[in-house]
Amino acid sequence: MKEEITVSAKKTIVLGQTVQRIDAVGKVTGETPYPGDINLDGQLWMKLRFSDRAHARVLAVDTSRAEALPGVVGVFTARDVPQNEYGLVIKDQPVLIGPGSNSQVADADVARCYADCIAVVVAETEATAAEAARLIEVTYEDLPAVFDPLEAMQADAPQIHANRPGNILCHYKIRKGDMAAGWALADVVVEGEYHTGYQEHAYLQPEAGLGYMDEQGRVTVIVAGQWVHEDQEQICHALNLPEDQVRVIYPAIGGAFGGREDMSVQIVLALAAWKLRRPVKILWSREESILYHHKRHPTVIRAKWGATKDGKIVAAEATVIGDAGPYNYTSTKVMGNANLCVTGPYEIPNIRVDTYAVHTNNLLTGAFRGFGGPQGAFAAEGQMNKLAQALGMDPVEIRVRNVLREGSLLSVGTPLPPGVSIGQVVEQCAEQSYWKRNGDGWQRPPTPQPTDPAIRRGIGFAAGFKNVGFSFGFPEQSWATIELHGDAEIEEVVVRHAGAEVGQGAHTVMAQMAAEATGVSLSKVRLISHDTAETLTSGSASASRMTFMAGNAIRGAAALALERWKNEERPAVATHQYRPPKTTPYDPETGRSEPNFAYGYVAQAVEVEVDVETGHIRLARVVCADDVGRAVNPQLVQGQIEGAVVQAQGYAIMENLVTEEGRILNPYLSTYLIPTVLDVPDEVKSVILEYADPIGPWGARGMGEMPYLPLAGAIAAAVFDATGIWIDGIPLTPDRVVAALRDHGIGVF
Amino acid sequence: MKLWEHYHTPTTVDGALALLAQYAGQARVIAGGTDLLVDARAEGGFHPYPALVDITRIPELCAVEEDGDFITVGAGVTHTQIVKSSLLARYATCLVESCGVVGGPQVRNVGTLGGNVAHALPAGDGTTSLVALDAEADIVKDGQPRRVPVQEMFLGPGQSLVDSTRDLLLRFRFHRAADHEATAFKRIMRPQGVALPILGCAVWVRLDENRATFEAARISIAPVGPTPGRAGEVEQALIGQPAADETITRIAELAQSTLHPRTSKYRATADYRREMIGVLVRRTLALAVKRAQTGDIVPEGVGA
Repeated sequence: MKEEITVSAKKTIVLGQTVQRIDAVGKVTGETPYPGDINLDGQLWMKLRFSDRAHARVLAVDTSRAEALPGVVGVFTARDVPQNEYGLVIKDQPVLIGPGSNSQVADADVARCYADCIAVVVAETEATAAEAARLIEVTYEDLPAVFDPLEAMQADAPQIHANRPGNILCHYKIRKGDMAAGWALADVVVEGEYHTGYQEHAYLQPEAGLGYMDEQGRVTVIVAGQWVHEDQEQICHALNLPEDQVRVIYPAIGGAFGGREDMSVQIVLALAAWKLRRPVKILWSREESILYHHKRHPTVIRAKWGATKDGKIVAAEATVIGDAGPYNYTSTKVMGNANLCVTGPYEIPNIRVDTYAVHTNNLLTGAFRGFGGPQGAFAAEGQMNKLAQALGMDPVEIRVRNVLREGSLLSVGTPLPPGVSIGQVVEQCAEQSYWKRNGDGWQRPPTPQPTDPAIRRGIGFAAGFKNVGFSFGFPEQSWATIELHGDAEIEEVVVRHAGAEVGQGAHTVMAQMAAEATGVSLSKVRLISHDTAETLTSGSASASRMTFMAGNAIRGAAALALERWKNEERPAVATHQYRPPKTTPYDPETGRSEPNFAYGYVAQAVEVEVDVETGHIRLARVVCADDVGRAVNPQLVQGQIEGAVVQAQGYAIMENLVTEEGRILNPYLSTYLIPTVLDVPDEVKSVILEYADPIGPWGARGMGEMPYLPLAGAIAAAVFDATGIWIDGIPLTPDRVVAALRDHGIGVF
Repeated sequence: MKLWEHYHTPTTVDGALALLAQYAGQARVIAGGTDLLVDARAEGGFHPYPALVDITRIPELCAVEEDGDFITVGAGVTHTQIVKSSLLARYATCLVESCGVVGGPQVRNVGTLGGNVAHALPAGDGTTSLVALDAEADIVKDGQPRRVPVQEMFLGPGQSLVDSTRDLLLRFRFHRAADHEATAFKRIMRPQGVALPILGCAVWVRLDENRATFEAARISIAPVGPTPGRAGEVEQALIGQPAADETITRIAELAQSTLHPRTSKYRATADYRREMIGVLVRRTLALAVKRAQTGDIVPEGVGA
């Protein structure tokens, strides 16, 4: 892959510089241990027994044959969990499903999907534990199940939670302006029904971990997650233990992408170690990882937008239905983002949106890079590109005429926080890719076509915006401690910050920001992280928030520590909690809110080649312009852009998770195909823009998700440009593309 | 994770047969293990194989050799060896093209064509080419040496004529492409292999001495049935026809209307596969004809 970076760097010592990742050598040489690499003396092995049904009451769990197997040390069921429920936002899922447990969840004996766990087996070897898990006999009473969110919303559908009528977990509404007046002004109206699929996180490191009692008698879990203190809280709750008796440590984390936001092996490891007082290890296979952690929410989005003939959007209406699976996980947050992104980064006077998260007996769905933004953006950018086509207007030109500006009102009736740059981002992307501006506005010269008539080339454009932080009223915070050691001069800066290094480079960036804030060289900074016993809470490494939140926390702690240093304190130590401006949740009837305190802005131009005979789409080139506010480490920013583009390429074109009545049929990377080095674009051109966020640390915005958001919409537009056909469903598998093209007589020899 | 109790590396065919006899059905032949060990791992290591007999250290099974007008490929020959063979590139081009897209480099470095056939993968890329090459397999079955057409090795998906606890597959044997003859392989798949193909097609053609008319053809497309097979009706229709674009298009249409591929739930629908049969036969046949006419052969799509 060829790359090019455009950076307008402001000169500083270490901030804004591409310094080598502090974790690079250990990870490249293989010396750095990931959870699966760690072994403890006398450790036992764990295997989990999951549900064999999509929806069934567990009448009995007979563990006698498993317990009788030589080498089995312990078998635990729902009755063994002191407080049998968990959940990041709402504790609505039992840790273990079965009769007789102490749980706040009504019907904690009901398995609601195949990923519900029924029993924990611990044995001397992994093979024995696996065999024992198979020997557990579970008696089920089958319950009617529902696998389609639209059917689940019907009055006679099976109810998955007694307290959520109609299987509706949440319904967000946005009501802005006057729809009738808006439609009356519209010269053209375009409608579409968009379908988006599941996506598997497919991080390098399948779930793994160890539970043990540490030297101070704390239940300790070594695991990979995204927020050590949240894992600790979930374990404390389930085991009914105070915070000081539970410790969570992350070694190196092999990717996350939202897939480690919720619990996998954390609570069961703690439970077994606490019961047995011996180290216990678990290591999931790739198959187990794909089967038992959540996926991106599939959605069906119906959209209708209207515009005047000079390209001004006057009305937008959308219904978004997301398959939330049987439990909340982060569905309320994910669908909240879809609700906001489904009308795009555009100023539209009249808007009506209804967004639903609907329970089914399908797969668990939850956080995944972009949190519902990609689903919303796919529909919004599809609508925008279709409006441009209907008006005979260039897709860049129509965006320039509608983008949000400083002071523009969002769909939710309030202005964006200052620092709105989407206009500049769209124009920079256009200029650095295929467009030119002349007297009539933005235009793109015709695309040269390949000589092979089966191959058609096309170019597409899309834009997006992504909030920084969970927000929507969630109380955001992040703590940092700075210790300045030395005598006459600062010899060492110790930074305590819990924030998870999930591969994105957070720890390198934290060290750079600490060096910058204290005026020392990077080599003097030492980071202590990933351990609840050593740090205060950081909040999650998700929602593009870590650089922004950690930077402000580190900056605040450093300023205080430097003041104490001046006052001759040795070491000078200061702790600071950063709290960003308050946000508010959606109003239940109108959606009116101040949902977020910061955003990043993005635009993409893509070039594809479609083999109209076979339906294969080759993504040849992507130009991605991102306003990151300040590129603390430009190479890491570029890494995030390229990684997001490739992950979104999989989402848009290749990744096809096939399920049948709630069961995954292709839980292998040989059948669930993700991009490899031979699939990725020939070129990803990263256009890194730096329009400072007024409250970001050194002007930085969050940026880990936004390059993901526009890609699917840009590819769909490029496929239209190449073939003349709109395909409103992703992934754009060859099957789907050929069916759509043949319907229009294309690709027939 | 323990996947076997004993691992043997005999250096002669007789030594391998003796070990299999000694374990009396408890040992299994391993020839690369890219399928076998995946299956073993899925068991979680609780039931390791009592013994594995690795045949890839037997020199006579690890060679690609000329034998008069024939070429032999030992059962222990890896995909990488095949891809790198200039003999096969010239005289069995489709085999090189198909083995070059199997798996990734690591799989090609250890996985063997013999293992694929002995495991009876119904749509192995290399197998599709062996069928088009009209290859025969030398085996030892129930203690007796036999020579069988490669298609007879397949009793059903995953069911092979050789019992890998007792029998041995020794080598494949096929005619080298003569003057006026050529082969080609193509498949419908994303650029990188790793997975099984949506559809693969291997073609062998013989043109007349003016290189203008089809004298004979063999076409293999997979997966269409539960075992690899040939498109006999399509092959017959080619004989005596001019080696021109119109013929190729008509033959592709015939293939599309006479072959009936199945849906596999996560790979492709039957509708898509049927549609692709036409595209694939046209493209592969055109390439083979061009090679037979020009004698200009450069294998395509061979992975790095």
